[in-house]
Amino acid sequence: MKKPTTTKVAEALAVIAVVGLAAIPLALLASRSLAQSWYWPRLAPPSWSLRAWRYVFSPTAEVLPSLAASLSVALAVTLSAVIVALPASRALAWQEFRGKRAVIFALLAPVLTPPLAATMGVHSLFLRYGLTDTWVGVALSHLISTVPYATLMLTGSFSRLDPDYEAQARTLGAKAIDVWRNVTFPAIAPGLAVAASFAFLISWSQYLTTLLVGGGRVRTLPLTLVAFQRGGDEAIAAALSLVFLAPAAAVAFSVARFLKENQ
Amino acid sequence: MLAPALVVIGVLFAGGLALAGAQSLGYFAPTGENALTLRHYVSLGDDPEVYASLWLTLKLATASTVISAAAGLALALGLRGVARRSRAISLLLQLPLSLPHLAMAGALITVIAPSGLLARVAYALGFIQQPADFPALINDRFGAGIVLSYVLKEAPFVALMTLALLARLGDEYEQAARTLGASAWQRFRHVTLPLLAPAVVSSSLMVFAFIFGAFETPFILGRPFPAMLSVMAQQRYLDVNLAARPGAIALMVVSALLTAALAWAYLRLTSRLIGLERPFIL
Amino acid sequence: MKTVKKNDSIIRFLFAIIGALFFSQTLTGCGNTATSSRPALTAVQFGSARWEEVVAQAAGGEVNFAMWSGDEARNRYYQSSVAGRVKELYGVTLRFTPVGDTADVVNKLLNEKGAGRTAGGTIDMVWINGENFRTAKQGGVLWGPFAEALPNIKHFAEDARRRDFGTPVEGYEAPYQRAQFVIAYDTARVPEPPRSIEKLREWIKSHPGRFTYLAPPDFTGSAFIRHILLFYLKQGTDEAAFDVSFDERRYQHAVAPTIAYLNEIKPYLWRKGETYPASPKEADRLFANNEIDFTMSYGPSFASERIARGEYPLTARTFVFDDGAIGNYSYLAIPFNASNPAGALVVINHLMSPAHALDQGRALGSLFPLLSAGLTPDERAAVEALPLGPATLTVAEMAKHQLPELDAQYLERLEKDWREKALRQ
Repeated sequence: MKKPTTTKVAEALAVIAVVGLAAIPLALLASRSLAQSWYWPRLAPPSWSLRAWRYVFSPTAEVLPSLAASLSVALAVTLSAVIVALPASRALAWQEFRGKRAVIFALLAPVLTPPLAATMGVHSLFLRYGLTDTWVGVALSHLISTVPYATLMLTGSFSRLDPDYEAQARTLGAKAIDVWRNVTFPAIAPGLAVAASFAFLISWSQYLTTLLVGGGRVRTLPLTLVAFQRGGDEAIAAALSLVFLAPAAAVAFSVARFLKENQ
Repeated sequence: MLAPALVVIGVLFAGGLALAGAQSLGYFAPTGENALTLRHYVSLGDDPEVYASLWLTLKLATASTVISAAAGLALALGLRGVARRSRAISLLLQLPLSLPHLAMAGALITVIAPSGLLARVAYALGFIQQPADFPALINDRFGAGIVLSYVLKEAPFVALMTLALLARLGDEYEQAARTLGASAWQRFRHVTLPLLAPAVVSSSLMVFAFIFGAFETPFILGRPFPAMLSVMAQQRYLDVNLAARPGAIALMVVSALLTAALAWAYLRLTSRLIGLERPFIL
Repeated sequence: MKTVKKNDSIIRFLFAIIGALFFSQTLTGCGNTATSSRPALTAVQFGSARWEEVVAQAAGGEVNFAMWSGDEARNRYYQSSVAGRVKELYGVTLRFTPVGDTADVVNKLLNEKGAGRTAGGTIDMVWINGENFRTAKQGGVLWGPFAEALPNIKHFAEDARRRDFGTPVEGYEAPYQRAQFVIAYDTARVPEPPRSIEKLREWIKSHPGRFTYLAPPDFTGSAFIRHILLFYLKQGTDEAAFDVSFDERRYQHAVAPTIAYLNEIKPYLWRKGETYPASPKEADRLFANNEIDFTMSYGPSFASERIARGEYPLTARTFVFDDGAIGNYSYLAIPFNASNPAGALVVINHLMSPAHALDQGRALGSLFPLLSAGLTPDERAAVEALPLGPATLTVAEMAKHQLPELDAQYLERLEKDWREKALRQ
């Protein structure tokens, strides 16, 4: 079927918008990480320098250890958040029970609370639990903000899947793992992909929570990045931002396949 | 089923929230006091800055959310055909999501500030003589910079959530409507929109809640007065004098309750609009 | 079917990665608890100990320094040069906790105190400045007093040891680096800057939209308005007898003309005074990009540093008001629950030594903070020979125009009055 022109135009505009939205900030960051003396009224930097990148790759910046720390925490948090959110969102989508609304708002509490209050509260609580200054503590603290989002996203996915499909497969003799693989997972794959990707991003970007709960022992990338962002070096902040973005983009890439429409 | 999630929130978060909230009621004050008092909340009522801030926050959060939702929906609809064929588009959509809010604000400053790239182009073309001649799009009265920064970050988010839904749905319903003779507008209003509403509503809800509480973007792109509620609360919390802290937390509690109430109202409103007898995710 | 199999292997792969990372973290990363297993030195014990005993106790231990880490040159210098020196001289391993904002560290300590975590803290020493010190002291999260008992305290001026930003120090922090309020300008745009508060007012009114200051409670912005308050406080008083302690009547007398001054210049400020830059970084950007012609800082070498980074034009210079510029110090403090206070004391004392001050002056262009009285002739010559950045004023120049910090109450009241009477109008 031929597409009408309006659709083609709309598509083209949308693609331009998306490409622009992705490419322009990246281009700006890249330029700022290399530019020198790029002030008014110059349209292009008069000189370039690798100073910022040399610093980023130097041992002083400790970029590799912080990448590893960030990655280990974020991957663990993503997996845990999804594991916790799956049964919860299934229940919310398919079941009715008294107090359901209260449960939903309870689950959303971390999202509704202003981040500073939430962070301070979590830190005080974790201190009393003895969970501070450990990798596990940091991962758990990230879990708090990822579970509500993951649950919310997956609830949407489950609400579009008829529970009967699973029931049918089971009556036909399929084992639970096969039901998951052949019925449930393909149906919720897009929502799951977005939920996982988002959980990763949330954990990846945590600063204050990691600093407080981690006590400075768990050195993730935002800890290094924020110091330069807050008033330090423009070029180094830009370079570190790009380093920060790369793994997040990689996760986005691996998850993108699930977003293609059903054949 | 719900147990693990509730345990996570209940055990890891609720206590923390209670501890923080208790401070606003007079307990565990950093200055040593430890007795119930409502004066921190009462003093908020007497503070003219709070009202100005509240009004500004409502305006900006609503505007940003509405525009992001509309733009995100439009993006998703425009991209659905392309998304079917290539996964590069979904990847590109996720890049602005991976960008920290502060970096997006920074990029925006680089482009639209009075001494930014657009202004420099105008200068090169002879339209303006100095940065002050360029229209103020950031740190302005209307909060245009703030809204724009949020829209650029959140519209892709809404679009992504909507595309995720579209990936599952396919276009069979719309095809069916077409064969039954429905026009493009009828298809959109009565088939597409209700089908996509859950994704748009839930993602815009998350966007609204986030914007209400976030302080980095409005701090950089806004004005010191009136400031958004989150900025004001944060500044009071970080005040040199610790005695200001309980008042700041009281402000944050009020903000959280307000966000919850507004979220509630929003859910009821949208489900009524798209004709469900219960809010869609409940 | 193919997709499904891929999902399996992805999940297995993820599990493998997480398992490996988790394993490695628990083995190495968290094993960073290499702090001394000896009980932490208490302030009381320190009071009666001899310095040699403290040095002996510190040897072989690890000290965690929470130092603002937003400058590459500084990070490099401290992580390699200073850490190496401290290891060489005292056998102490110096580690650094990255900090974007000292307030975050203070908040961490406040929460820890509230939760009763009085020992085994992850930070042993913190680089702290005026207002954060005030908050920390008010919250009772500092170890001490200790500063007056350090051997190298004799190198520092009386006012540095007594008050910080108007708060009584009482030995809870040790002075370490020198700061003074300076204003940067671009000689290419402003050949001759207005060098007094009165001249500044005239300049602002004849150059509308070219000046602004940061909105309090920002550190630098609040310093600017304090200069104006000081100007009016000093009027009609004897220079030598200036008393920094708070007096309500003197405050009322001076605050009225101060607010009047600020409101008078308001319509001539950048953006007609309807908004102010949010942070020093924003002010830097406005200055470098020709939106405003001046910017301020407490760091005398800040302009030179930015010229070196390619962020300020080469023609940028700094000046101080003839009426005077408030002088200040930044300090080093020890958290109440530090795991290794003995080590912290030794490192702090080292950082206060002439040898270190000279070395840092050569490496980073920092202003020399020590009194010349306690130095040897060789050291004094070395101070003279210290390189200054192109935009940094000489020590002598700045000493000529130095003003003391006012009592903290002036600061609180002024900020409140500014907010009510200048910002909100």
